[in-house]
Amino acid sequence: MKRIAIVLMALLFVSAALADTADVGKSLSVRTFQFKHKQADKAAAIIKALMSRDGSMSIQPSANSLIVTDDPESLKKVAAALAAYDAPPQPFHLTVRLISAGRGGAKTEGARIPDELRDIESKLAVLRYDSIESLGVAEFDGKEGEPGLLSLTSYRAEFNFGEYDPASDTIAVTDFTLSRLTDGTLAPMMKTTLNLKLGQKIIVGVTRQPNSQRALMMVLSAKR
Amino acid sequence: MISCDSFRTRFHAATDDAALLEHLRTCDRCLDFAAHADPDVMFRSLGGSEIVPPGGIDAFVEGVMQQVRVRDAETTIAASHGIAWPRRLAMVAAVAIAAFGATLVYRSEVPTTFEPIKRAELRTHALTTKPIVAAYDSQNATIIEIPTEKADDDVKIVMIFDENLPADL
Repeated sequence: MKRIAIVLMALLFVSAALADTADVGKSLSVRTFQFKHKQADKAAAIIKALMSRDGSMSIQPSANSLIVTDDPESLKKVAAALAAYDAPPQPFHLTVRLISAGRGGAKTEGARIPDELRDIESKLAVLRYDSIESLGVAEFDGKEGEPGLLSLTSYRAEFNFGEYDPASDTIAVTDFTLSRLTDGTLAPMMKTTLNLKLGQKIIVGVTRQPNSQRALMMVLSAKR
Repeated sequence: MISCDSFRTRFHAATDDAALLEHLRTCDRCLDFAAHADPDVMFRSLGGSEIVPPGGIDAFVEGVMQQVRVRDAETTIAASHGIAWPRRLAMVAAVAIAAFGATLVYRSEVPTTFEPIKRAELRTHALTTKPIVAAYDSQNATIIEIPTEKADDDVKIVMIFDENLPADL
């Protein structure tokens, strides 16, 4: 009887050891990531999809750091993603073209498109304006987090470059305020925040109503 | 039979007065009174020194010893019906081994690699649908993102209709 008990006890210890060995591969590690250039709370959203089911994280706003607990394999992915994310402010080039569009003019087959707008001619045709006039082009070079200013004839645009989002390949242009110079004073017309995909032309048209006679079009394009 | 007053007048500790002891057998209040002064008085009143069990002392002792032997035999039988500690240990070990074995088999069979792949796909779809106009500083505006033929079209159009804009744009 005692022999059976001893054998069973030995088996118990062996199986316990095997179970421990299986758990070693799943053991969790803790790592702290401190950010120099970006905000820790925004980084949390980026790594969420990279973490395993057992992973967890906590944000320390005072230290601008992120504490991640996960298995070693997931931690490697998280570390790589955060290293790419916490890059110094990157430079970007923004081009803005301003277009005045109108309806109710002479009935023609279509609006005569200025040569400098030929690249977006087919897209402007969708909006069914019969007169299209270019008001000018302005360009700006800046880095993430820097303010920018563009002057276009009687219009002025002030904005800030926000953060670049690698997942969607977009740069945020925040507080984009378009003002018009009237009788020597600048009158703000609109204020918006835009997400511009790099290399893509974004036509932002502003008007009072869908059937309004006049509209202002901004063609924005951002690239590195 | 003496009265209670007479009893309390005549009573003293270690008394063997037959009249007093007889009174105690019939009066509980005097028994309490007497027991405070002489705890043994109750046994003396019962005639403790003169009690003899039925059949004599030898028969009484034999009966007691017989009960002792019977109880001893019952304890031995009850102990033989219990499970010895090695057997209990063996049973616990067998159950534990079965549980560990089942856990190991379960871990080796569960496909754990599929879920992260699904999550990664979801992430890609969610982040590529970032709106062009993230914010607009007017409550009366309507913002329409005009759909394009292809999702990855290099030109996107957004129209903002805002009653607060000047009419002579």
